[in-house]
Amino acid sequence: MSDLETTLILIVALFALLASGIWIGLSLIGVAVIAMWMFTTRPAGDAMATTIFGAASSWTLTALPLFIWMGEILFRTRLSEDMFRGLAPWMTRLPGRLVHTNIIGCTIFAAISGSSAATCATIGKMTIPELKKRGYPDEIALGSLAGSGTLGLLIPPSIIMIVYGVAAEVSIARLFIAGVLPGILLAVLFMGYVIGWSMLNRDRIPPSDIVMSLREKIWASRQLIPVILLIGLVLGSIYAGIATATESAALGVIGALILSWAQGSMNWRTFANSVMGATRTSCMIALILAGSAFLSLAMGFTGLPRHLAEWIAELGLSPGALILALTLFFMLLGCFIDGISMVVLTIAILLPVVQQAGFDLIWFGIFIVLVVEMAQITPPVGFNLFVLQGMTGRSILYVARVTLPFFIMMAVAVTLVWLFPEIATWLPSQMSNAAG
Amino acid sequence: MPASLFSGGRMRAFLQRLYLGCGVLAGISLIVLCGFVIYSVLPGVGLWLQDLFCGKTGFMGGAACFGNVFNYVPQSADDFAGYAMLASSFLALAHTFGRGEHVRVTILIQRLHGRARRWAELWCLTAGTMLSGFLAWYCVKLMLDSRAFGDMSTGLIAIPLWIPQIFMGIGACVLFIAMLEQLIVVAAGGSLPEEKASLHMER
Repeated sequence: MSDLETTLILIVALFALLASGIWIGLSLIGVAVIAMWMFTTRPAGDAMATTIFGAASSWTLTALPLFIWMGEILFRTRLSEDMFRGLAPWMTRLPGRLVHTNIIGCTIFAAISGSSAATCATIGKMTIPELKKRGYPDEIALGSLAGSGTLGLLIPPSIIMIVYGVAAEVSIARLFIAGVLPGILLAVLFMGYVIGWSMLNRDRIPPSDIVMSLREKIWASRQLIPVILLIGLVLGSIYAGIATATESAALGVIGALILSWAQGSMNWRTFANSVMGATRTSCMIALILAGSAFLSLAMGFTGLPRHLAEWIAELGLSPGALILALTLFFMLLGCFIDGISMVVLTIAILLPVVQQAGFDLIWFGIFIVLVVEMAQITPPVGFNLFVLQGMTGRSILYVARVTLPFFIMMAVAVTLVWLFPEIATWLPSQMSNAAG
Repeated sequence: MPASLFSGGRMRAFLQRLYLGCGVLAGISLIVLCGFVIYSVLPGVGLWLQDLFCGKTGFMGGAACFGNVFNYVPQSADDFAGYAMLASSFLALAHTFGRGEHVRVTILIQRLHGRARRWAELWCLTAGTMLSGFLAWYCVKLMLDSRAFGDMSTGLIAIPLWIPQIFMGIGACVLFIAMLEQLIVVAAGGSLPEEKASLHMER
């Protein structure tokens, strides 16, 4: 059997299993078994069990359930209300006023949350009713929320960066730090768009209803102290080199528990719910990762990724063209599968391509997270869109349409990170200690 | 009624308790995991505190001096944290499946209705049962092999590998049972599996 035939068989099998609705983790195991049977005489089952055991008990990966748990605890606190009250007084002078609480709120919350849907839901739970009550137009309020919710993936901690880091064997601490500047850049772009839109639609932004002296504003900002302390605990401990990503996650869990307890929102029920919610979400991701670990092993035997890399090298694409092609490919893939599955499939199959093209793996991680973020707000499978659809009752197409300008801002951010890779790579190069 | 297959549904009630019980054990494993990680990070935090209060660069400038309050070596805490995560992930498999939280591509399947949908679900569940059965078989085999060969973990505190692997075996077997149960239910004309994946929080 020629290379081309076997490659085709594997790709058809992968798409058939995935598209027919078989659970993604199990589909990956299925394709890996087929690949092992076709290409090696090694017993597939034993290789699978050993590989999955190694992957599912890796120390690096333990950051993932811990950050998910931290998010589950914070989602059940009054943190988002406090943040709104602390931020709102400062936004009254900016064109767009309280719309900016969406963007800055998401940016800050993203620094303690690892997921984009959770960021979107936690901030939106507070800002959507507040903005509606004051008469802000839905299109800018929802669009900015869906857009800036995706910062949850880019600004550390980030579930998807942990997945990428483990799969591509890159330091998660460095990836986290690399995401900081691109995240801030994206937030600034979003705010710029909101300011521009508001200048053009002056009459549609309601007048400010907050009259406060500077003193009162500063006093109101005390509400932000807990969240800033948490950010300091999680990111500070990584940047200072005291803790690995995993250890900072455990510190974050403790911090979140203390915060929740101090606010009085912690009781046995919310604690148990946060544990079980985190357990199920982690388990869902673990099954995908188990499948992808085995698929990566099987792909190594098939040599398919290497052939793909050689084939793409022969095409003689410039790095820019390759990045453009990859972006479009991810956009397409994002129409069918979720971000985590996208990342693990990419690493299993495309890593040699990326290495051959000479991309820095930290930089590529930031790139892929940005593109996954874009996929996160494109229909039909856009999880932020689902969240907002559930919260507002608007149709998913409406939410997607008002999010489009923010999608374009993200495309601008991808272009900037491509033109000036230092946006992603400079900060990690300054880290004091290369904690794993 | 599919329930009649299992003597008045008592079998199914037992299975539900089994999935939930394993799920709760998985939750406890998550807490244990956090405990191990905290145990492993404390010496580092102690060192930082010591620096802060005693070191020249610290803001106290050596005013209050004490040693590392967490002065110990966290032996093999990283191994044990990994094993706790392994146990948590596997034990929760069936519970997560029962709540419809394992992701899958539903873009095609959700367009089907009635009989066509039922056949599609039957295909998914058949494939799922076979794949999870394959997984369960080899997870149990791995555990038995480790036991037979006396494989030990490589950390400072070496433990027999079959101890963490037994949770892997149990979790995979319970997932297989849950898949098989759902397959039988759908094949006998019962309700289709729950679908909640689109409402998932952490993505």
